[in-house]
Amino acid sequence: MRIDVQDLVLRYDTVTALDGLTFGLAGGKIYGLLGRNGSGKTSLLSILAAFRRQTAGSVRVDGRPVFENGAVTSRISLIRESGEAVDIGTAEEALSYAEWLRPDWDGDYARELMETFRIEPKKNVRSMSRGQRSAMGVVVGLASRAPLTMFDETYLGMDVPARRAFYDALLADYMAHPRTIIISTHLIEEVSPLFEEVLIIDRGRLVVHEETDALLSRGTSVTGPAERVETFTEGMTVLATERLGPTASAMVYGEFGEERRKRAAEAGLELGPVAMQDLFVHLTTAEGAR
Amino acid sequence: MFDDRSPIYRQIAERIKADVLNETLKADEQVMSTNQYAAFYRINPATAAKAFQQLVDEGVLYKKRGIGMFISPDARDMLRARRKETFFGEVVDPMVAEARAIGIPLGDVINRIEELEGQ
Amino acid sequence: MRFPTRLLVNNLVFAFLVWVAFCVVVALVAAVVALFGSLTQSAWEAAAQLPRWFALFVGVGLVREYLPMYIALGQTRRQFGTQAAVTAALYAPFLAALMTVGYLLESVLYGWADLSQRLGRVHLFTEPTQVPVVFLEHLIEFLAWLVAGGFMAAAFYRWQGGGILSVPLGVGLILLGGVALGTELSLPFIRRIAFSDPGSLTVTVGIGLGVFLLGLALTWAIIRDVPLRNTART
Repeated sequence: MRIDVQDLVLRYDTVTALDGLTFGLAGGKIYGLLGRNGSGKTSLLSILAAFRRQTAGSVRVDGRPVFENGAVTSRISLIRESGEAVDIGTAEEALSYAEWLRPDWDGDYARELMETFRIEPKKNVRSMSRGQRSAMGVVVGLASRAPLTMFDETYLGMDVPARRAFYDALLADYMAHPRTIIISTHLIEEVSPLFEEVLIIDRGRLVVHEETDALLSRGTSVTGPAERVETFTEGMTVLATERLGPTASAMVYGEFGEERRKRAAEAGLELGPVAMQDLFVHLTTAEGAR
Repeated sequence: MFDDRSPIYRQIAERIKADVLNETLKADEQVMSTNQYAAFYRINPATAAKAFQQLVDEGVLYKKRGIGMFISPDARDMLRARRKETFFGEVVDPMVAEARAIGIPLGDVINRIEELEGQ
Repeated sequence: MRFPTRLLVNNLVFAFLVWVAFCVVVALVAAVVALFGSLTQSAWEAAAQLPRWFALFVGVGLVREYLPMYIALGQTRRQFGTQAAVTAALYAPFLAALMTVGYLLESVLYGWADLSQRLGRVHLFTEPTQVPVVFLEHLIEFLAWLVAGGFMAAAFYRWQGGGILSVPLGVGLILLGGVALGTELSLPFIRRIAFSDPGSLTVTVGIGLGVFLLGLALTWAIIRDVPLRNTART
């Protein structure tokens, strides 16, 4: 589903959670939403899912407003850590409500996922471990088959095998039933290979919206004798510089063409890639690119 | 499976090329679909598709509509030729530089190469 | 609108099970009183003070538990509001019917034991076997308590501690329901409306329904644009 967010603002009493956010998503892809704690990720997703209304600006999904628009919200699913989609009685009962209210619910698939995650149908969801509750969220989120499916940090408490099972199920189901998926996460290294596009927000503002590969190719580390690194990177966007004795390593943000590579080689400088995690850290700290 | 340091599609492309060179993948053999690749490596299918497209552009793979991707008959020869071009620049020169840096006389290096050739 | 089958059925089944357990407890207590003391009036009448609190908490649960779940499963507040209102409107008569059956069961048991099923308080009915009026009284009572619970739960959900300000209004709804029955406030004027006027039942039903609709309207005013709380448990 196409998503258009225009000048989105959300203010709580004294806090500005979203501060003029504008972006568009073509849909049909897996998007990664990254941001530090309190950057506005959950606020953004909550508005997209009509969990709350924005203070200003507009949100459109397939061209239509979302808030209190049943035709649209029935096609949107957001699974948050707070677990409102699953916190009703036993696992079985919670699924029965999802089955009843979700138009594209796949019960067989839900049962299959329950087995994958070893969820006991008769167990009360509120008394489950954190990982199990998260897994319940995964079951409801995936089996709902909503054209816009969002997971907000839905991995908390899940151990490594459970998280792998989540990623595998997500990918397989996405390929079998293509839809728009947005995942917000702090586990950047682990999850970023799943993303086709990445959005980074910081303090309620959009910092980056790029294809994952394009974003990765924008980061380059330049390593060599400090003086030469400094001369070479002059005029470039340097996110961070680390020094180790006479050697310096600069993290540069921006396209690196053939010509620049050649110049670096001539200067005896070593070029290397930068991890998504490092780019994220430097794009979202105070001394970053702003 | 992959580190997130360089675009994954480049890593996939490199891996397939390596498989072609060492003949794990043979001429006209079908390669896994992008979806199988994506599931196996736990990556976005669009990323896998990009790697495949790059290999099609380079002539390593060819498409059969509705069936899948296959290794070009001349893929191995082409890759070998291309590697040959860069062999001295990318493999021999750095080796010589390394030998010099750690104080191995080039004569010793040449002797070693001749020794290997004799085997 | 879709009929709230699942919501209703799950809650009715639960209510029925609670009722069965409640009947057993009341019967046991009554039996003990009859054996070791003297049982001179209806035990069910005394016990009937409790189910209204059950209705209150059902009202609370409808908003507290189901509102966030409905929205998280892609429903609008309007859809939830309609389904919850229909559920409450059908739940109250179900509870009222169970209470009425309770009186009937009691009168059979008292008949066997030759006990007097005398009433100790003021009611719309004068005999526990006046089925329609017994039903009506409980219906109006449960409607008021259900909607008051929903209303206060909505206020607490929306404003947390600030929800305390809704309590006088919620209590007001319940008292108003009592006024309709002439049971809660024994003001002479009200008593006269309810008991001496031939049209009194119409007035009673009118006030009772009015309380329910007023409560629904107040609740809707709170939830119509309520944000879901983000209660991440860390």
